[in-house]
Amino acid sequence: MNNIIEVKDLKKVYHMGKEKIYAVNGVNFTIREGEFCCLLGTSGSGKSTLLNLMAGIEKASKGSIIIKGEDVVKLNETKLAKFRQNYLGFVFQAYNLIGSMNALENVEFPLIFKRVPAGKRKKMAIRMLKRVGLGERLYHKPKEMSGGQQQRVGIARAFVANPQIVFADEPTGNLDTKTTMEVMDLIHDLARRNKQTIVMVTHDPRLAEYGDKIIRVSDGKIVDVEVRKTDEEILNEQMEASRRAEIEKMEKIEKAKEAKRRKEEAKALKAAGHKKEAKTENTEDKKENEQDEQKTDETV
Amino acid sequence: MKMIDMLKLGLRNLGRRKARTALTVMGVVIGTISIVIMISIGIGMNENYTKQVMQLGSLNTITVGKYQDVIDSDGNYVDYKEQQINDALIEQIKALDHVKVVSGVVEGNVQLTARGKYQSNMSLYVMDKSTFEDFDFPPLANGSYNEEVNFKKPTIFVGPNILKYYFYNPKSRNYDQYEVQPTDPVTLTIQNWEYQQDPKKKARKYPVNMYVFDCDENSEYNYNTYMDKSEYERLYHEYLKTLNVKDRKKAEKKMREYNNIKVCVDNVKYIDEVQEKIKELGFYSSSLTQYTKSSQETSKMLQMVLGGVGAVAMLVSAISIANTMVMSIYERTKEIGVMKVLGCYVRDVKRLFLFEAAMIGLIGGIIGIIISYIMSFFINKFGGKLFEAIMSTGSLWGMTGEGAKFSIIPLWLPVAAAGFAMLVGVVSGFAPANKATKISAIEAMRNE
Repeated sequence: MNNIIEVKDLKKVYHMGKEKIYAVNGVNFTIREGEFCCLLGTSGSGKSTLLNLMAGIEKASKGSIIIKGEDVVKLNETKLAKFRQNYLGFVFQAYNLIGSMNALENVEFPLIFKRVPAGKRKKMAIRMLKRVGLGERLYHKPKEMSGGQQQRVGIARAFVANPQIVFADEPTGNLDTKTTMEVMDLIHDLARRNKQTIVMVTHDPRLAEYGDKIIRVSDGKIVDVEVRKTDEEILNEQMEASRRAEIEKMEKIEKAKEAKRRKEEAKALKAAGHKKEAKTENTEDKKENEQDEQKTDETV
Repeated sequence: MKMIDMLKLGLRNLGRRKARTALTVMGVVIGTISIVIMISIGIGMNENYTKQVMQLGSLNTITVGKYQDVIDSDGNYVDYKEQQINDALIEQIKALDHVKVVSGVVEGNVQLTARGKYQSNMSLYVMDKSTFEDFDFPPLANGSYNEEVNFKKPTIFVGPNILKYYFYNPKSRNYDQYEVQPTDPVTLTIQNWEYQQDPKKKARKYPVNMYVFDCDENSEYNYNTYMDKSEYERLYHEYLKTLNVKDRKKAEKKMREYNNIKVCVDNVKYIDEVQEKIKELGFYSSSLTQYTKSSQETSKMLQMVLGGVGAVAMLVSAISIANTMVMSIYERTKEIGVMKVLGCYVRDVKRLFLFEAAMIGLIGGIIGIIISYIMSFFINKFGGKLFEAIMSTGSLWGMTGEGAKFSIIPLWLPVAAAGFAMLVGVVSGFAPANKATKISAIEAMRNE
């Protein structure tokens, strides 16, 4: 598999008065396309800085970060913004949802910057929210949702534009154990299905177990790189995931058909009673059914 | 970011802090109201005064008199001067730029007799009938200026007050006054006590048509009588024959001496220029503009002072907009960081904040304009007494008359005011918006 990210001799220096602090000190590593990569380290190890550097949020002092053949270090603000729109998604520890927007609008938000037309945007966001299991909470504000739900919105926002790379900074840092596992499974599953690359920062070795590759960071340097899955294994998992998705899709279509049948039966019963009313309902029901079908088609 | 999305997002952001937005908008509203009302009052005063002066006569007419009052630049009478005015001068003035029509005015003395017994002795101004309309003569209550010259029955143009107050019966014991009706038969006799009548001859009485000016109470035409030059000259020649041979020459010469010259300028704004040129020719002249000038300067001053008050209010609201935007940016630091991480261009961040500031300005401006219209209505309805008290000076007399408007909002004013309010918003939002662009994406990564 190709390397989607190549980090070469990366350094980040902070100046504290006369003292120089090397947050990242000469780091080299690569990340394969479709890989789930975990940056593992204690707090202050420089793992978060490393992630920020890769996303172009902080400027590197030295070295290069080649993502999709482009050196992020050399991009200016405008090009970086464009780059993020096209290739990157973000999941934050503190969710960072916009408080005044409901779930749907939050998920639509990055698409606004991409100039996606409003109708298409909404469709994409709804599909994504359904995918993360929040189909019933489209119009809830962040305040009205639990931490786990908020992070699901955050994940939907990160994945909605189907970016090739998703950066996740301690995505479960504010969540309890049970929710943590659900969220991790969700991220993993989404990434596998769409063959996306994940770069996740964590301090928890158990969460790092999700990774295909674990990069251990300490004092701004890489201590150890553990490759846990081969290219083949990753490919297999991706195929498995898409097969599962296919099956789920079929099931949903079946379900929709079943529901349609049931509705028609109910209609037939009703029609016997009041003809006129039934007529109007008829057409409405048809419309609804059509919409349902469409939605299930998209819900993958 | 698309324009429509920017619009929605900006309005949503303003709606998030409704109280704060409302208070800031209120500042702009007050600023806009003060500017609009102040300017409208200034315009109203100006327009009123111009209307008053227009009633007195045409604004684009200059008069060069034989006995000319000398008026200084403040409109005060200084002196009077006798000057020699003749056809040569008319030709010279005709050659000046912006001069449309020039006409010499001869003064004649006549006696009018209505219904055979009511008489009136008066001066008569004689000039070419074809120039009457150029000099903005008032409309006629009966008849028209465009009729053919008629030597058999000449026409006189009289002011209504002459008919009302100037005729009396000399034979009655109390000199009974009589109000002449335009339809009454009237005869005209030329008479001049300077000249001796030939004892064998008698001045003829000519029946005349009488057309009455339809003019305002204060108009100069109210008390004047005019007659066409060619018609008058015919009568005058006949009159000469009735004079003593000695005086005939004198009287004939008199016919060619102008009492004054009227100059019509193609636009009011060139009045000063033409008057200056006439002065260079060595002649004093007068125009109504001279009288309006000082009052216009006063009202301009007043407008500036009033506008200044509005400007201060606007300045305060500009500061308040800037303050609101800075506060809003502090509050939304993290949000701006998140926007950047999610791929928002720096320029879109800037535009968003500029848009929000502009919207505060525009909304305030529009509300302010609406309230201004309401206030203007009430000022015009109930402001009479107030203005009477403030403007007790004579220069604005008549302003409190029926239907007078104190506050006039011309169409350009609300447009300009809304534009200005928006501009104030943009300008005061500029620094905060720049500040917003400097917020780093790293703000999104901070966990507090």
